[in-house]
Amino acid sequence: MTFGARLLLLAVMSGSLLQYPATGHARDVTALNVSIAVFDPGVPENRSLHRDLQIFPRIREVEAKFLPFVLRETLVESGEWGAVRVVTEPDDAAEVAISGSIVHSDDGPPADSGETGSPYQALYDAIAKALLEARQQFDDRALGRITEISLLRYAAELSPSAFGQYLAEDEQGRYVLRRLPARSDPMLDRVERIRLTEYVITDTVDAKFRELHGEIASTYALWREYRRKSVEYDRQNAERAQESGSAAPRGSYEAIKTRYDNYKWDRVTAQERDRLAIAFNNEVGPVVEAMEARIAELETWVDEKYAEWHRLLEELFDVETELNRASS
Amino acid sequence: MCLVMVACTPAKPVIDEQMMRIDGEMPADFSGSWERDYSRGDDVNQVLRDIYYYLSRTSADRAYTTRPGPVRPSSRDMQSISALARLAELITRPQVLTISQNDQEITVDRKDDFSLLCAFYDGIAKGTESDYGTEICGWDGAQLVSHLILPDGLQVTHRFTVSADQQQLRVVTTVASNTARVPVTLIRFYRKFERLPPDFNCIETLSMKRVCSTGEIGL
Repeated sequence: MTFGARLLLLAVMSGSLLQYPATGHARDVTALNVSIAVFDPGVPENRSLHRDLQIFPRIREVEAKFLPFVLRETLVESGEWGAVRVVTEPDDAAEVAISGSIVHSDDGPPADSGETGSPYQALYDAIAKALLEARQQFDDRALGRITEISLLRYAAELSPSAFGQYLAEDEQGRYVLRRLPARSDPMLDRVERIRLTEYVITDTVDAKFRELHGEIASTYALWREYRRKSVEYDRQNAERAQESGSAAPRGSYEAIKTRYDNYKWDRVTAQERDRLAIAFNNEVGPVVEAMEARIAELETWVDEKYAEWHRLLEELFDVETELNRASS
Repeated sequence: MCLVMVACTPAKPVIDEQMMRIDGEMPADFSGSWERDYSRGDDVNQVLRDIYYYLSRTSADRAYTTRPGPVRPSSRDMQSISALARLAELITRPQVLTISQNDQEITVDRKDDFSLLCAFYDGIAKGTESDYGTEICGWDGAQLVSHLILPDGLQVTHRFTVSADQQQLRVVTTVASNTARVPVTLIRFYRKFERLPPDFNCIETLSMKRVCSTGEIGL
């Protein structure tokens, strides 16, 4: 299997380093937090292509949730990053956002699967290396800007009235820091606390992806094993067709039965593949559905809270602005 | 009669573009389990005798003989036709057909053979193509037609027709080849039967194979 990954580092702008009001201490700026969004399954909309391309949409959906966790584990094990989380949607305010699309999915190489159990460990290692090299192009000051801009983007989404003026977007879609809020700004402190609360939920969602990985890894390995066998059957079918091609006189029963059987075995192999895909779905479907239901509950809670936080912060900003105006 | 018609009608595609389109629902419902009705249908030996009789009256060899009446078909002709008949007999051997059908697909499961698949996407039939052959399908009125095109001009066509009361199924299977002067057609009849409701609910899984339960299956 191969998949493409696009790495997005938030733009680095000038400014001074922010302290973290909620935690009360500065953090290691090189240890950026990473958000890995569930991958795009890469399933063509045209359903008529699925069979030809041997795409099993429901399995791709599972892979899109299953594979980001392997990348997460690789990044965590590297020790180079802060919190690494798998999230359901791309996080615009992430310090480092990773998105990926599944371009092709097959039985994969019979390579060393390493500790993660993934046959694509080399690919994940390459992504981790590229990501690290990208980060190493920035000095500590620049990395500090990333955390600042990340926080201010989050703050501006939550309370545009209070934080909308700190950032601007340039022509290339990069965020430019216009100025920084005061370090003692109570609004920023509130935003930071809200973000930490949201992180608790995000970590719970992330844990669900870990559970999913744990529960279906062995079934997924079996699926890959069966796909490998299926490829082997395809090869054997081709060999048999080659060998039996011209042995019998044209028009004889043996000749026409060979033609028929060549097609028959090819179809039987393909239909067995379809049957196994259904068996895979039968087995992992309930696990995935339970996970999706739990994540949906968590996200609904966050959405409701987010709306409430948004309203409260906007109201507080209005009140404090009025108070400041009155006192001055 | 069928042989004469096939032999005399100018070549036209078994399934044309019009047949590969449906507007809305499938024209007929074939879903269910079908058991072969051995009291009806063609006997392959009789079909071969009919072909022999037909060829003996239409053979091109007649032009080279002064003897009046039928001319014995060449052994090469009969060998090719016998080969087609054997294949037709083999293909139509399954005792039971299990047909599943939804708005987009019809699948005909046959024991010891591949399942015939007829899939429609946005109302257009999508064929199956591989290095070994091409399978297309379509509707000829309320008849479902499945057409398999194999190398060397070998072709297998099935026409499925369900009776008005939905209890009987007729399958007309034609095997044709470039190497034979006429195709061979065998007609088979099937009766619908209801499978007994299973004592267990079963599903296929990868790691546990078939999993069954008397109640709801919880994996």
